[in-house]
Amino acid sequence: MVYLRIVLQYAVVLIVALSLNFALPRIAPGEPIDFLLPEDVLANMSQEEHAQVMREFGLDLPVSTQFSNYVTGVFSGDLGTSVSYGMPVWEVVLSRLPWTLLLMGWALVLSAIAGSALGVAAAKLKGGKLDIMSLVGVMFLGSAPPFWVAMLLITLFSAHLGWLPSYGAAPLTAMPGSWDWISGVALRLIMPVTALTLFQTANILLTARSAMTIALGQDYITFARAKGASENRIFTAHAFRNACLPIYTNIMIGIGNLVGGALVIETVFSYPGIGSLIVEGVGARDYNLLQGVFLLATLSVVLANLAADLGYPLLDPRARRA
Amino acid sequence: MSETVLSDRFFGAPSRHRLTAEQAVRLTGLVILTLMIAAAVFGPMLVPYGAREIVCQPFATPSAAHLLGCNDAGQDILVGVLTGGRVSLSVGIVTALLTTALATFVAVGAAYFGGLIDQLAMRVVDVIMSLPFLPLVIVLGTFLGASLSVQVLVITLVMWAQPVRELRSQVLSLRAAEHVQAARAMGGKFGWIARKHILPDLAPLIVPQFVRVAHNAILIESSLSFLGLGDPLRKSWGTILFHANARTAFLTESWVWWILPPGIAIALAVVAFALMGYGVGDDKTPRADRNAKALDDVEKKASDGILSLQGVSIAYRTGDGPVPAVKDVSLELRQGELVGLVGESGSGKSTLGMSLLRLLPPAGRITGGGVWLDGENLFSAENARLRAVRGTSIALVPQSAMNALNPVRNIGWQISEALKIHGKEGGTARVAELLQLVHIDPARAAAYPHELSGGMRQRVVIAIALANDPKVLIADEPTTGLDVLVQAEIMALFAQLRAELGIAILFVTHDLPLIAAEADRLAIMEKGVIVETGKPRDLEQHASHPHTRALFASIPKLHAPRIWQRHPAAGGKILTLDNVSISFNAGFAARLRGAKPVNALRGVSVELRRGEVLGLVGGSGSGKTTAARLSLGQYAPDEGAVLFEGEPLHKASGTPVHMIFQDPYQSLSARMSVMEAVAEPLRIDGRPCNCAEIATALREVHLPCDDAFLNRRVGSLSGGQRQRVAFARARITRPQVILADEPTSMLDQSIRLDILNLLEDMRRDLGTSILFITHDIVLARHFCDRVAVMRDGVIVELGQADDVALTPSHEYTKQLIDAVEHPSSARII
Repeated sequence: MVYLRIVLQYAVVLIVALSLNFALPRIAPGEPIDFLLPEDVLANMSQEEHAQVMREFGLDLPVSTQFSNYVTGVFSGDLGTSVSYGMPVWEVVLSRLPWTLLLMGWALVLSAIAGSALGVAAAKLKGGKLDIMSLVGVMFLGSAPPFWVAMLLITLFSAHLGWLPSYGAAPLTAMPGSWDWISGVALRLIMPVTALTLFQTANILLTARSAMTIALGQDYITFARAKGASENRIFTAHAFRNACLPIYTNIMIGIGNLVGGALVIETVFSYPGIGSLIVEGVGARDYNLLQGVFLLATLSVVLANLAADLGYPLLDPRARRA
Repeated sequence: MSETVLSDRFFGAPSRHRLTAEQAVRLTGLVILTLMIAAAVFGPMLVPYGAREIVCQPFATPSAAHLLGCNDAGQDILVGVLTGGRVSLSVGIVTALLTTALATFVAVGAAYFGGLIDQLAMRVVDVIMSLPFLPLVIVLGTFLGASLSVQVLVITLVMWAQPVRELRSQVLSLRAAEHVQAARAMGGKFGWIARKHILPDLAPLIVPQFVRVAHNAILIESSLSFLGLGDPLRKSWGTILFHANARTAFLTESWVWWILPPGIAIALAVVAFALMGYGVGDDKTPRADRNAKALDDVEKKASDGILSLQGVSIAYRTGDGPVPAVKDVSLELRQGELVGLVGESGSGKSTLGMSLLRLLPPAGRITGGGVWLDGENLFSAENARLRAVRGTSIALVPQSAMNALNPVRNIGWQISEALKIHGKEGGTARVAELLQLVHIDPARAAAYPHELSGGMRQRVVIAIALANDPKVLIADEPTTGLDVLVQAEIMALFAQLRAELGIAILFVTHDLPLIAAEADRLAIMEKGVIVETGKPRDLEQHASHPHTRALFASIPKLHAPRIWQRHPAAGGKILTLDNVSISFNAGFAARLRGAKPVNALRGVSVELRRGEVLGLVGGSGSGKTTAARLSLGQYAPDEGAVLFEGEPLHKASGTPVHMIFQDPYQSLSARMSVMEAVAEPLRIDGRPCNCAEIATALREVHLPCDDAFLNRRVGSLSGGQRQRVAFARARITRPQVILADEPTSMLDQSIRLDILNLLEDMRRDLGTSILFITHDIVLARHFCDRVAVMRDGVIVELGQADDVALTPSHEYTKQLIDAVEHPSSARII
């Protein structure tokens, strides 16, 4: 039954996201049609043409019918046509998705490993010089905007040293699948992954450190000492096992942000992922495209949260139900 | 109480102490931020030109006139960064203000009113938190247009949800706090309670939320502006970087002064906020095993005990230097002996108990003496040796078993661990054997702690302590917080183990009657010193120390003459519970999960007569507290009626029923002055606050009534003084009925009778009728005229106090009496 509740809750989130998508062009200043066609086309349109476009897009129908048409469209995979690409939104999004998954996947894996390892180590050394220093360093890294870090990386490694390419995801000259192409892709991943990892590591490190600290202050730790357990055993078998819960939740949140999270970084590196697609959509006032990407991003958060909720009982027996 | 501690810790550096490291960090953050705000506000005023004016050559390198040089358009970069600070910082701060205000409003409303409003608010929060954050901001920002107000609005819209979630859970626990319950019981409305009780306690928790939102808002603003969604007519740090990026500043040599300064400014501002929120709510855990520092060995005097304490001294480090907690204590524990270490709060008994395993809290230090176990001084043992001894020779049964077990490991694992640590075989057979020893079905080895009852958890802890056949067991308040019958059950288990296994047990407790019935010897502790030791019977009959005498004198005995006189035949009915039933429905979500409604009361009928003291007696879950809440009008019954002078309670004018709560540490807000606390019911009723009246009320409860005392904060009073203040607050309303919910159970034994005398004074002076709720049937026999015994929401026995207590007819009443008189005879269920 608990699963039913969770699924219901996420169904509500999806419906809200759909409604938001539907409502935004309609509540924003101007008419919906302003968001569908480029401005120069609109300016030169006659009254009849205007009415015809309205009919074609179903904008003369009652709002309720429009909404049901929109929802039906979404569920049959029809997200409308991207004005700037002249292609179905769905196809544009699909062509970009792999790059974002590649980029964010690496950043997520690296930051999860580095963040939890360093966080646990910091808790072990709590109060020591190393702990304080790493904490201050991490706080600064977590506070520096990732896009700014990215700009500095470009300045140093591309503009001055000329080691790394700063533009795009793959070399344009190499055959996809060839060795040159693969190494080109890898080289182009280094800087954006670094910028993202630095930022996310800070976040996971702080979570892991505080989770460990809280766990180490519990009564069951004192009791484990009274049993005669060694400090190493207390650290791993008791404290770390309990600290896993918040760390897990934090990493799952990161997975949910896979699609939308790299937005700014992708822009800096002109990386052809979902994030830069959003920015292009903003620049071109391509509202269909924006709505489509937004929907995809929502879907990924909802799916990640769903997976997190369903997986949580495996880690925490208190969340299990007979 | 923890909230007030927090508020003192946050920023406020107590004047006479040095700054703690955390306060220094927070202060640093504040200083950085203040300097940045000052630079942003006053900096641009120092130069005669604006940030958008063309004042130099494009890409001019830094010079005395333009410290950071110029951008591609010939605008001064330093002035740009300073001016940009105005926008970036104000977006951050304004957004944080709006967001925390909105979040606090929603959180307080939702948690206070509960029910549908709460459900709805929390579903909205869930939805917002499931939406992808940055894409949402950008989509909204794009549709609504690029401007500062849109930025603030959009960031607020997506950021308010998370603080609501965190603040709401705080408000929920505050709402359940007894001083809030007390204010509601006095008739306080939402406005009063929110203003006087919830917001002041919530304030220290709102500050970190504000800091975090500001921190995020500045980062988001810079991202938005960097993407070109900022106000195009205003410079902010983000827009400067946007232009730098758009014009590929990093390909020119100007990047050093064009890209670095705004980025550093952002990072610095964000760091300042992060520092200000540093360590708030963080746990103050020391580094591992700090206490295990060995003492020099000292000469042992001859002794015949298996465990011998000689000259043990312990001190706590405080802001005012070390304070001794245990002073030169010596004690012997012989093979198979059960010794009760008895003392009131602050006597040092638990400190002494924990020091035997060298497991003191971080501030504690063993300052002298030795503890010999089988001739080996534990105080001078090395760490490795100490670990080998812990659990094998000397074991601990700690306070509050709920927290002593690891919540994510099943109990079989935890028992097995105790064996394996010491290199023993920890298979299922041995685990089953140990579970059987403490009367738990071995099939439950796979159960997790939260699946067991409080009594069962305590027995699992005992099984773990016994795993390696220790010679000595230290039991630190092992029965505190358990139901009366379960307490007796645990006591019986200890008695059985001692008889069967021949273990020596040091039983640390404040509960003299419980331990006196079982112990071979008692050691009475007061102010860090053992004042007297001896057999319970000897101490009871001819104690030499006044503290021991006072302790024994304060225990009411079942068969002794009544301590308080019975009251002459009472008048008419004043408060009636007429065939009342109530069940607590699990919420919609809980029912989906399969929870069933709980029947708290079933067909309860009882009446309180004018000038009478009626006792409601029962264990936890018996429904006695629910009956009290109904009589207070806090719940409406599902069936039946609550009548005040024959009329439904809710029609009675004012608040005819006044409640006195169990725990004076919680039922009075520690922040209030004595004056405010006593005057609160008058203020709630909108009556003028009459100083003479307050003084009289205080005098009647034997408290001083001078200005100095009136202005003292409740937080600085002792438990007994606080409960007296609570009584003064009750007296001032001249209530017709008092509900006293275990008014002495949280207080030290020696002051309990004094506090009950105050209740009796009130009945005599004002003719107040008293509904007295207790788990202690012996106390009820002495204090009440009539007694109703409750179990599982039903009254099982009702009659004259002496009849019920001395000639009980119901099985449950007999069990309650046995639990007090012969705890070790309890059946282990």
